[in-house]
Amino acid sequence: MHYVIIGGGIAGTTAAEELRRLDPSSEITIISEEQHPIYSRVLLPHYIKGKIPRERVFLKKENWYSEQNIDWMAGVLAVHLDTKNKFVTLSNGREIEYDKLLIATGGEPRTLFENSHNVSYLRSLGDADNFLELLNSRDNNCNGEIFGSGFIACEYLNLFAHFNIPTRVSFRGEHFWSRILDREPSEFVNQHLEKSGITLRKNVLFSDSFVEEELKYKSSIFGIGIGIETDFSWLKESGIEIKSGIRANEFLETNIPDVYTAGDVAEFFDVIVNRHLKMGNWMSAMAQGRVVAQNMFGNKTVFELVSSYATNILGLEVIFIGDVSKEVSDEVRLFGSIKEGGITQLVGRKGQLVGAILLNRNTDRARITEEICNKSGLSVDIFAKI
Amino acid sequence: MKLRIKVDSDLCIGAASCVTVAPETFQLNEENKAVVLDHSQEPNGRTYERWIEVNEDEKENIFLAAQSCPTLAVFIFDENGVQLFPEI
Repeated sequence: MHYVIIGGGIAGTTAAEELRRLDPSSEITIISEEQHPIYSRVLLPHYIKGKIPRERVFLKKENWYSEQNIDWMAGVLAVHLDTKNKFVTLSNGREIEYDKLLIATGGEPRTLFENSHNVSYLRSLGDADNFLELLNSRDNNCNGEIFGSGFIACEYLNLFAHFNIPTRVSFRGEHFWSRILDREPSEFVNQHLEKSGITLRKNVLFSDSFVEEELKYKSSIFGIGIGIETDFSWLKESGIEIKSGIRANEFLETNIPDVYTAGDVAEFFDVIVNRHLKMGNWMSAMAQGRVVAQNMFGNKTVFELVSSYATNILGLEVIFIGDVSKEVSDEVRLFGSIKEGGITQLVGRKGQLVGAILLNRNTDRARITEEICNKSGLSVDIFAKI
Repeated sequence: MKLRIKVDSDLCIGAASCVTVAPETFQLNEENKAVVLDHSQEPNGRTYERWIEVNEDEKENIFLAAQSCPTLAVFIFDENGVQLFPEI
């Protein structure tokens, strides 16, 4: 049996580790665009702040792959997939046959300012090294310019604050997470940022003329966090169903036999909230890696998890739990207020509690996670329980 | 066997992976940091570090929880004080 895993991130590597445990004699290949052994992207801000040395970001040592008898092909991309004859063509020209294939390629940051040296992204270890170089070479007038209003923008806010760099953040809408937060919680975030000394520039259109104008500010460091995108062009002739991600059922199987998907790239059927969704967080990617390995091995296992993502923006605790999309919800309820210093936004669909956003209300987390997991109704009872 | 489990609260970001994998050993506190439990109990109050007696299955699960932490904030030591995870 030859398991081929495209993507050496946390979903792909966890799957490889689990497959090796389940099937000691199988052949396992990881095809990874990265040159490095797996590392934690979540640790990159800690590394930039100097909390940990660079070597601590690595989750596996280079010899781990050979010790596990895993063929680790680093620095190569998959460029074509033939699902009929079951082989993958790589950027180095090699063709790899598979019996079972996992696509866990993640995503790439959307880019702005293509050719400017003082631009930073925060997706890879190389990006973190680059950001440190920008910090080390900055002059006294350096400003932090952040573009975007999601979790990566939050990391930049914390990093610029850590290095005492005055910061402005520009974004498309009126507030952070405009597709997710209701009016009062979004106002709460804006007020918190302004109180923390951050300049907000709202309703910015990232056009060519805007880019040209911005590049005049030579002493700024630009931190870009406007989302991720995935290149599906290499799958064009594969027959694999793709929507916003690679479509999969609750077993993380695609519509093509023996082809599976996991991690940020997967648009899987979530049995708890009863719809297909993408879940781009560490907890989900790792758990999917474990479950997809079981399914590739032949142990039918449903992926079932209420995942969450937590961050802290300059002292404001933010936690997203479950399916938080406001666009596909039909009910939003708030608990707490700006005046009380904390707000929980509950998200419901067809009467069911499917997600929540907690702002400075950490203690609601365990209970809400449990209620989502239990497919509880979004009723007044929920408020009474919290 | 006895293990000493320690959470570095400075590294912990409240990702809750450890809680998902081993809820009987980890729980989040009001600061959104993981604290260590002894078989779902908290003798002597909340703490980031404690000795616990475990069997092989429990040990394996605690290692799995520690490995799942994206910031490697969970440290495991044996009875002789040797750091078992993360590997040095």
